[in-house]
Amino acid sequence: MMNWMLFSPELFTLGIAAIYLILSLMPSHDRRYDGLVLILVGIGVVICIAGLNQSGELFAGTYRVDLFSQYVKLMIYAGFAIIVGLCRHFSGVAEKHRSEVYLLLSLCTLALMMLVSAIHLLPLFIALETSSYSLYILVFLRSGYKRSVETSLKYFFFGATASALMLFGFALLYISCHSFYLVDLGRLLSHQLSDPLTQTGFILALSGLLFKLAVVPFHFWAPDVYEGAAHPVATYIATVSKVAAIAVMVRLLALCGSGGTYLIVFLTAISLLSMTLGNLSALVQDDLKRLLAYSSVAHAGYILIGLLSMNSMGWTSTIFYGLSILIMKLTAFTAVILVSQNGKNLRVSELAGLHQHAPALSLALMMALFGLAGIPPTIGFTAKLLIFKAALQNGFMALVIFAMINVVISLYYYLKVLKAAYYMPSENEAPLYKESVSVKLFSYLMIVLMILGGIYPQKIIAIAAAMMGGGV
Amino acid sequence: MMELYAAKFPLLSAILVTCIAGLLLILGIPGEKKSAVKWVSAACSGITLIFSLIVFGTYDKGVGGVQFVESIEWVPSLGITYLNGVDGFSVPMILLTGIVFFTGVLTMWELDTRVKAFFSLFILLVTGVFGMFMALDLFFIFVWYDVSLFPMYLLILIWGSTKREYGALKLMLYLLAGSALILPAMLYLIEASGQNSFSLPVLVQFAEFSPVEQKLAFLMFFVGFGILAGIWPFHTWSPVGHVAAPTSVSMLHAGVLMKIGAFGIIRVGIFLCPEGWAYWAPLMATLATIGIVYGALAGLGQTDLKYVIGYSSVSHMGIVGLGLSTLSVDGLNGAVFQMFAHGVMTALLFSSVGYIYDRTHTKEIAELGGLAHTMPTASAYFIIAAMAGIGVPCMASFWAELMVFIAAFKVYPIRAVIAVSALIISALFILRVVEKTFFGPARPQYEALSDVTFGLGIPRMILAAVIMVFGLMPFLMVDTIQTASSILLGGMP
Repeated sequence: MMNWMLFSPELFTLGIAAIYLILSLMPSHDRRYDGLVLILVGIGVVICIAGLNQSGELFAGTYRVDLFSQYVKLMIYAGFAIIVGLCRHFSGVAEKHRSEVYLLLSLCTLALMMLVSAIHLLPLFIALETSSYSLYILVFLRSGYKRSVETSLKYFFFGATASALMLFGFALLYISCHSFYLVDLGRLLSHQLSDPLTQTGFILALSGLLFKLAVVPFHFWAPDVYEGAAHPVATYIATVSKVAAIAVMVRLLALCGSGGTYLIVFLTAISLLSMTLGNLSALVQDDLKRLLAYSSVAHAGYILIGLLSMNSMGWTSTIFYGLSILIMKLTAFTAVILVSQNGKNLRVSELAGLHQHAPALSLALMMALFGLAGIPPTIGFTAKLLIFKAALQNGFMALVIFAMINVVISLYYYLKVLKAAYYMPSENEAPLYKESVSVKLFSYLMIVLMILGGIYPQKIIAIAAAMMGGGV
Repeated sequence: MMELYAAKFPLLSAILVTCIAGLLLILGIPGEKKSAVKWVSAACSGITLIFSLIVFGTYDKGVGGVQFVESIEWVPSLGITYLNGVDGFSVPMILLTGIVFFTGVLTMWELDTRVKAFFSLFILLVTGVFGMFMALDLFFIFVWYDVSLFPMYLLILIWGSTKREYGALKLMLYLLAGSALILPAMLYLIEASGQNSFSLPVLVQFAEFSPVEQKLAFLMFFVGFGILAGIWPFHTWSPVGHVAAPTSVSMLHAGVLMKIGAFGIIRVGIFLCPEGWAYWAPLMATLATIGIVYGALAGLGQTDLKYVIGYSSVSHMGIVGLGLSTLSVDGLNGAVFQMFAHGVMTALLFSSVGYIYDRTHTKEIAELGGLAHTMPTASAYFIIAAMAGIGVPCMASFWAELMVFIAAFKVYPIRAVIAVSALIISALFILRVVEKTFFGPARPQYEALSDVTFGLGIPRMILAAVIMVFGLMPFLMVDTIQTASSILLGGMP
């Protein structure tokens, strides 16, 4: 007898999707639907919190609910809820398509939740594809943007290629390990990673996730998609889907024991490339979302440092980093969504004068930028500290120094954004954006989270360590 | 090597809490109420000044060691502790920060644009400085270090003057490049120690680093912190930054922030890697000597009043570096005393220049002249500070320089001779500035300018008084520093 309670957050999300499937068939979009989705997602967060301590297996041992998956699901859902809350402001999507957006966002969330619980390669692949396909369509739904077809096709082709590589990797893994269960793989991989076939298979199997994380050379879609997608959709891609990908990367790499030499060399190489390429390309960007896209590429590089340390500190720090990315990027994108009310893309210089009309929001943006640049006392600094500490446990001193050089480079473009928001005079007289009470409260909440996570990380570290405590 | 004495009352945390409370209070005040913001800042800085005076007064020189220690487990799994304490090196620095903070706030009393934002950033910066001077845990040392840096960017950018965008960006990138060296070295030593602890006393007592590790790590600390300390050839951000910054930020910047760099070299570099210190000392001496000479020569050629002070800072911080490189008690005493004396002196210099600039709207030496006729009091403050800068006896920096040079002559005679001769050049350029700016015929365009009033004079009076008090009674300070430096060198070969 299956315990359906374990599956309740997923079922609930499926319910939301079903409701919006029906609503999308209605002739016109009613504004009340926006309020409804917020209530529904709020209930979803509560269900996630209630299910935090559940554990068990479902579907013939292919689906595991444990502390790891439940906390990641909570992170995913919290991010989803905030984005849905911000959706009330968005106008980058035609009015008649808004129900579809909610439908696809909840479907994608459902897929990501299943992704982090899957402990068999097939459901893992299916979940990954479901989330990707929802996103392909979501990117296409941008209104008033000439190149949305081009953007979504580009996204689709890169995604499909990465998925194909990933499937091929699964096949190779099956040849050497004769199983799709992660438990079996974990038992065999730590011995077999010296075998070239296994190693190639494993590296290829990571490609779908590397694509989601926008690691070089799977990053080509990122700037175009961030730029071309409607703001909330870009936010979703930059935050929620990253968190899920990071979690699955942790789950897969934790199978490898201390990791094979080639695997580590491979991860080191793409980490260095991602950091450098991401940061250098971001230096010259004018479009704020493109800039954030390249900053995502750079951050993927930092995340890989935590992953390639292959030790318990590394897993803990990577999860911590995932949380910090979620918080900081959400804050930065909140500024994007709120400032460009008309749904147009935002140039960095268009932030000018933000501090006058929206002091709380610009303060939050400042903390987020400093966090992304890795400056204390923000959560971004502590995340980097943990990651570097993990890498140094394995003696990767050169890598850490290289990463620090990159941090200094990245500071330049974060300061550019900061300068626009705080220093440059506004171009037109009309206020850019007037913040409401709820936005103020949200900004303060994010500031508190960023600082608290930065100077008092004890609780988060303890939870992250407990998440990894259960093993794979 | 580091004896810890617990505090009866958490005085050090009280300083930090006062700053943070002041910051939150200011954030709560509506931006239009400018005078309320100023009064809150003044009250906040006044209270911290009183606390730092208490720390200075009640530090028990007979006992020495690290006193007022507060310790709270922070992140047990990583070995991070909230560990605060002061020893003979940090007591003068806490006092210095208290003085410069209070006088800095009073100096900016006339500020009118974006007052709330200015004072919040200013207090945030000072919080970082205080924290850095009292922290004994590497995590907090680094966090406070960076907290004291990033407000600088906005402070210079928004309220600065000459070439502010360039100055702010250059300063920020240089200083962050410094922390890019410090953080890996810190983390590496923590890993290598095998102690799983960020706590400095634990690392100093139990960790044994190999000579190679010490040499490499010390070099990284020296360069990383040395950038902030304005050590040649990493000083280029500093004159530009000084010039671009608004008055009280220059005061803090030259008066306190550069000391954080030198203090970091002592606290982290020397305490953790004594062998590395001994190994690199000759190089430090050479760089310091070049800095002293270079600062003096470059100062000679400047036409902007603030650039002159900026380069004199490079020169004076070279003296600190020279003192640190002598590996002797006298040298260390002199270096730390010089940090204090130079801090107060530069604060007074920038404060006087700020007053003059606000009235005349120029810092060009050629355009000024005869100011002593219209602003005798303002001129007097500048001249007092300038005399202290030259090293006139009875001023605090005289004793500091004397101690450093006596120590340096014993170890590096040639470099010491060169450095001392550079002081004559620096006397030359400072006297030249004094002559051209304040004396000579009165200029008609400055005749209507008002002199420093009593209220505005208070911060300058305090600074001048401090220079004199410690110049006449240097033992007040030296005895305190001695407690730390003699213990530190007691463990040296």
